[in-house]
Amino acid sequence: MPGTTTGQDLDLVIGKGNGGGGGKTPPAGGNGGGDEGKRGRKGQPSASKYYAGVAIAIVAILMFFMALASAFLIRKGSGEWVPVRIPGLLWVNTAILLTSSATLEMARKRLANSDLSGFRRLWRVTTILGVLFLVGQLVAWRILAGQGIYLATNPASSFFYIFTGAHALHLLGGVCALLYVAWRNFDQAKVSLGVAAEAVSYYWHFMDALWLFLLALLYLGK
Amino acid sequence: MVTYDDGGDTSPSSGSGFLSRLFSTHHKTIGLQYLWLALASVLVGMVLSALLRLHATWPDRAIPFLASMESTPERFAAMRLLHGSLMVFFVLTAAPQLGFGNYLLPLQIGAEEMAFPSLNLLSFWMTVGSLVGMTASFFLPLANGINVWLASASLFSLAALFSALNFATTTIEMRAKGMTLPRMPVTVWAWFLNAILSMLVFSVLLAGCAAVLSDRLLGSNFFSATSFLAAQPQNLVRQGSLPILWQRLFWYFAQAEVYVAMLPCFGIVTHLIATFARKPVWKERLVVLALCGVGLVGFCVWGYHMFATGLNPYAPLVFSVLAASLGIPAVFLLASWLGTLWNGRVQLNTAMLFTIGFISLFIAGGFSGMFLARHDLARAAVSEEFVIGHFHLVMGVAATFAILAALFFWFPKLFGSRLNEELGKLHFWMTFAGVYAIFMPLHWVGLLTQSHVLGEEQRAAIASAGASIRTFVTLATVCTVSAQTLFVINFLYSLLRRGRAQENNPWRATTLEWSIASPAPEGNFGDVPPVVYRGAYDFHGDSDLDFVPQHLAPELPAGKAH
Repeated sequence: MPGTTTGQDLDLVIGKGNGGGGGKTPPAGGNGGGDEGKRGRKGQPSASKYYAGVAIAIVAILMFFMALASAFLIRKGSGEWVPVRIPGLLWVNTAILLTSSATLEMARKRLANSDLSGFRRLWRVTTILGVLFLVGQLVAWRILAGQGIYLATNPASSFFYIFTGAHALHLLGGVCALLYVAWRNFDQAKVSLGVAAEAVSYYWHFMDALWLFLLALLYLGK
Repeated sequence: MVTYDDGGDTSPSSGSGFLSRLFSTHHKTIGLQYLWLALASVLVGMVLSALLRLHATWPDRAIPFLASMESTPERFAAMRLLHGSLMVFFVLTAAPQLGFGNYLLPLQIGAEEMAFPSLNLLSFWMTVGSLVGMTASFFLPLANGINVWLASASLFSLAALFSALNFATTTIEMRAKGMTLPRMPVTVWAWFLNAILSMLVFSVLLAGCAAVLSDRLLGSNFFSATSFLAAQPQNLVRQGSLPILWQRLFWYFAQAEVYVAMLPCFGIVTHLIATFARKPVWKERLVVLALCGVGLVGFCVWGYHMFATGLNPYAPLVFSVLAASLGIPAVFLLASWLGTLWNGRVQLNTAMLFTIGFISLFIAGGFSGMFLARHDLARAAVSEEFVIGHFHLVMGVAATFAILAALFFWFPKLFGSRLNEELGKLHFWMTFAGVYAIFMPLHWVGLLTQSHVLGEEQRAAIASAGASIRTFVTLATVCTVSAQTLFVINFLYSLLRRGRAQENNPWRATTLEWSIASPAPEGNFGDVPPVVYRGAYDFHGDSDLDFVPQHLAPELPAGKAH
């Protein structure tokens, strides 16, 4: 009886924290059955631990960017503001990133249908798209630098570089997570492949949404 | 270092060497390491404070440590920064949350470990790195020192974020069966809420630090120097190195830190009062709500400040808002503490003395806070010394009292022996009298020197009175700092005595950590995960067995528990 209450509380808390990161379907099968008995038992943490961790991390990262965004908005209002013309390449990059989110979901669907090779293929595609996005961002920086716009040029350029740079750094972490899931042998691991993939997918979709937000901010803020 | 035990399945235990203990991912080891870190920091920080006072009172005398470096205002400011950084980051933030929290949170919710043990280890060593960096920044030239300090603060923020992630996830996910949210001890609530608060606060802090650092190193324009420097006195601008920045920056961090440092202390104090008054926490729900309130208000004030000033760390301090907003939840907490004490069968041991000392300091600090909260009064009252007196009472010393109370209370759990009560009480009374002798006169001096209404000769009289009060404060500081040797002796003596046969639950407390041996064994609860059947403060009746532990199954509800 007490256990059920705990479960409800948990759902409540996680449900709240998850707001930023695109709520997904419940864990793909495989680990649903043995979950109840595992809580607090030696060396068998429940899968939801990882979801909660990612959700909480997302909130913290969101706060980090909100702080910068607030600084951006206030700084913009304080004069001496020379807007940065956003390179057209960013739109291509955005498309790449959105596609990567789609392929990630397709990969997870394959996994749910226990099509492991299909999963691995699509997962690899996602990773490559992620790397492509990062390269695209680098190129966009080079383009701006070619126009003589550097970090120190003016406040607007400073914010452009720190937004894109911080996002790229976080996305790089996402790429590492993708690679980790791809290469890790989950046979003796505490978590199943499905759980790891789902936890990473939260983060990845969040990076996606965050990028759209930042792009809107930079675009509207010029 | 030779272990004859060749059982392959043993987890890295105490026998397997110093290094593996140093880099252990076990929550109890990490918690103790944080506590050692805090102990070292508090001792150094205290000695620094005495040196600072001595130097401020007799600037011409050569003081051993200070004489070696030229006594410029900048060195003095740097030393104050070191004192502040050590105390705020590595004592007030580290000890109640990271030290006691890491050790006790899993024990109190009946978990085996923190949710992410490796992350825990990482954040501990990042904290150590930040301590090294902040100490190093003191010895570097000013301009480099600021950069190193900023980098260290960023590192600390990152470590705090990882810890907060761990704490929040652990509380949400790792609770034992039956440990519902209403059954959680108030300490767990405080650690949990504080984790959430510090996650929000430190991510903002990290952003701010990164931006300033980028301004300084890469020449970016987040806080463009032009508008800021225009507001500064000309002679400072020309020097290029702005000692006032040290202070301003310190305040900027301290503002958010007040809440982060106080929240777990509120939890500890509530917990101890219930245990030693042998009564349930009065209006426990309200207390939890008030803790949420402290977190929420803390965050709102912080957020407001961030957004209103655009992350600008050079913005002047707004103490008024801070003091005013803490007031309402603080009154709730105070009411609950007094309500719990009311008609309780209070056991005045050292831990309880420190707890009551906390309440006293909290009230005293709160009163002076009211002066600062009112805008018109604040203009009259805000002088450096008044503010120093206020925040040292309410934040620094009060929190330290809570930490000491926690140490006296949980020492048997941490080390297996009790701290000496007689020495402890002597130490308490000397410290209690000492801190009032230091910080109350500081308030007076602050008010005296700010008065503008008096004539010339009255001012001269006040100035001479102020000087003698300052000398008194300095002497009181030296005495109080010296009195801490009593604590160090007590601590070391009790450590040496440890391992004596001890009852597992010396305080007759209800929470889960007392259901196992003291000191807590390696695997916490062994192979049988604990099950929780009741709330955390089931104290009742006048009999000898006036409490029901949380893990006790309600097999005999009619007969025993009336």
